[in-house]
Amino acid sequence: MIHTDLLICGAGPAGLCAAIEAGAAGADVLVLERGHAPGGQLVKQTHMFFGSEKQYASYRGFDISDILVAQMSEMPNIRLICDATVLAAYDDGVFAAEIAGKYEKIRPRATVVATGASEKPLLFPGNDLPGVYGAGAVQTLMNQYGIRPAGRVVMLGAGNIGLIVSYQLLQAGVDVLVVCDGAPKIGGYLVHASKLARMGVPIMTSHSVKRAEGEGKVEKVTLWELDKNWQGIAGTEKIFAADTLCVAVGLSPLSELLWQAGCEMLYVPALGGYVPYRDAQLSTSIPGIFVAGDVAGVEEASSAMVTGRLAGLAAAGFLGLDIIALEAKKEDCLAQLHSLRHGHGGKILDGIQQALLDTNNKGDEHA
Amino acid sequence: MHNSLEKTGIPTTAEVDAAFPPAERLAKGPVAVIECFQRIPCNPCATSCPRGAILPFADINDIPEINYEACNGCTLCLTKCPGLAIMVVDMTWKDKSGLDRAVIKLPYEFRPLPVVGDDVVALDRAGNFVAMARVVSVLLNHSMNKVPIVSIAVDKQLVPIVRSIRVDVRQRAVVCRCNDLDEAEISAYITGGTTSIEELKRITRLGMGPCQGRNCVPIALGMLSRALGLPIDELEPATYRPSVKSIALGDLAKYDDRGDGLP
Repeated sequence: MIHTDLLICGAGPAGLCAAIEAGAAGADVLVLERGHAPGGQLVKQTHMFFGSEKQYASYRGFDISDILVAQMSEMPNIRLICDATVLAAYDDGVFAAEIAGKYEKIRPRATVVATGASEKPLLFPGNDLPGVYGAGAVQTLMNQYGIRPAGRVVMLGAGNIGLIVSYQLLQAGVDVLVVCDGAPKIGGYLVHASKLARMGVPIMTSHSVKRAEGEGKVEKVTLWELDKNWQGIAGTEKIFAADTLCVAVGLSPLSELLWQAGCEMLYVPALGGYVPYRDAQLSTSIPGIFVAGDVAGVEEASSAMVTGRLAGLAAAGFLGLDIIALEAKKEDCLAQLHSLRHGHGGKILDGIQQALLDTNNKGDEHA
Repeated sequence: MHNSLEKTGIPTTAEVDAAFPPAERLAKGPVAVIECFQRIPCNPCATSCPRGAILPFADINDIPEINYEACNGCTLCLTKCPGLAIMVVDMTWKDKSGLDRAVIKLPYEFRPLPVVGDDVVALDRAGNFVAMARVVSVLLNHSMNKVPIVSIAVDKQLVPIVRSIRVDVRQRAVVCRCNDLDEAEISAYITGGTTSIEELKRITRLGMGPCQGRNCVPIALGMLSRALGLPIDELEPATYRPSVKSIALGDLAKYDDRGDGLP
């Protein structure tokens, strides 16, 4: 049994920031990361980030990862172990993990679950053909492993992931034939869409995939127009000779550990699926279990970093550590989150409001 | 409101016109043109402008407002805008060819980079061919956040239309095979102010691959010499450090200081 003040599940932007804040407060922190290296999705983000200076705006994702990892490495009280997957959260507060091929049990005094999210699948004929990828998988192959993942791509999804991965495919010398989205409007930032448009990539809203076909691999992708009820309109089919169909239709929180721990959960479409009830300081319904990043609700990486800081501070407070200006630091995080969130037509803010535990939360003053 | 933009990513002519500075300001010299039409949480343009020309945001979701009198077209914001939504237009560029051209400075995140003197395809905001354009400068240095700036000369009438370029793939001239660096990239660094072999090495890793500079350093010195107008013997030479070839760490570990080690 491993004993630690704070267990952090996941070393992505949220987990790293939580570790840095709790570590700075003097907590003995154990960070377990499933991947070979810390950074999570940051390491494959080659584009400049939005947000403000506090969330490293204008820096590229992989540079932000380096900055956070360097900050964490300066604190001897933070221990990071990679290739370590947290397997289970038991109701007696014990966690189990596979660490370097060995089963281990951990008894933390507090936990931050920062497991992130996974790509949503889509149902259509031919969706199991080789050549049908999640956009994030293509991004991993391309930006993390240096593999040119495709020749001619149809991108399904004009949210930020679909738009950004399409642009990065162009940078890698891959043809992006079209970006389509079932919604009537582009969901991602319009500046990303404009970057693609001026490189000649057509964007087709109210269009989705009818089917993918090919002999043993994708050779042809048929799109069609959707009506107001998101039903395909016969006769509007457009066929693309693509070898790859990227699916970027959103992310869902990786919340298994929270279910296992017995956290109260709620289905909130605006946040990507089942998310835990939490108070404004990111404590779940189980005392001592905090959430940060996409597992608490799918947002941008900028918000993931801030929720990580907030959860790290809250966890350190829960552990009874003395933190200089704790309340001011939390307030700063809440203010940052509010400004990052309220530009999205209020969708995220509404979702989070639904998932807030009914306490006298501090988030209300900003909402 | 932005019906077309929200469906296609292509702003309307009216939207682009509204983003352009007035003609009187354009006539005075280089100036930034910001095409940021949507409220999103992002403010580096305003916080990075050393002249305060992009007005401070009350809210991080504000759409940037520019004080055209304070902007001098320095291009710093081009390298900070994550949306690559800013370009600089210089209607006062001195066209030595006698044509009536202006210069557009564009952030360009693709490889290969063009080389000064190339003719590239100028594209509109929908990616359509507009004209051929002459590349008059390609800048890249360590402070540019990995955002090269390509300046192209286009007919003044085309300034409101051109917003992108396509560099047709041509045979690359490779400077450093170990680190896959070509002439265009090295030349952009040199134009961007990286004017010694040691700086080039630190920024690009030129000379630090398996060949240890045998192929690339002579070529790079030649490029520096031509760009700076200095003979090679007046340039700082490269520093050579052990070892001259790659060896396995295991071979180092096997070293025994006691014997003479010879087989």
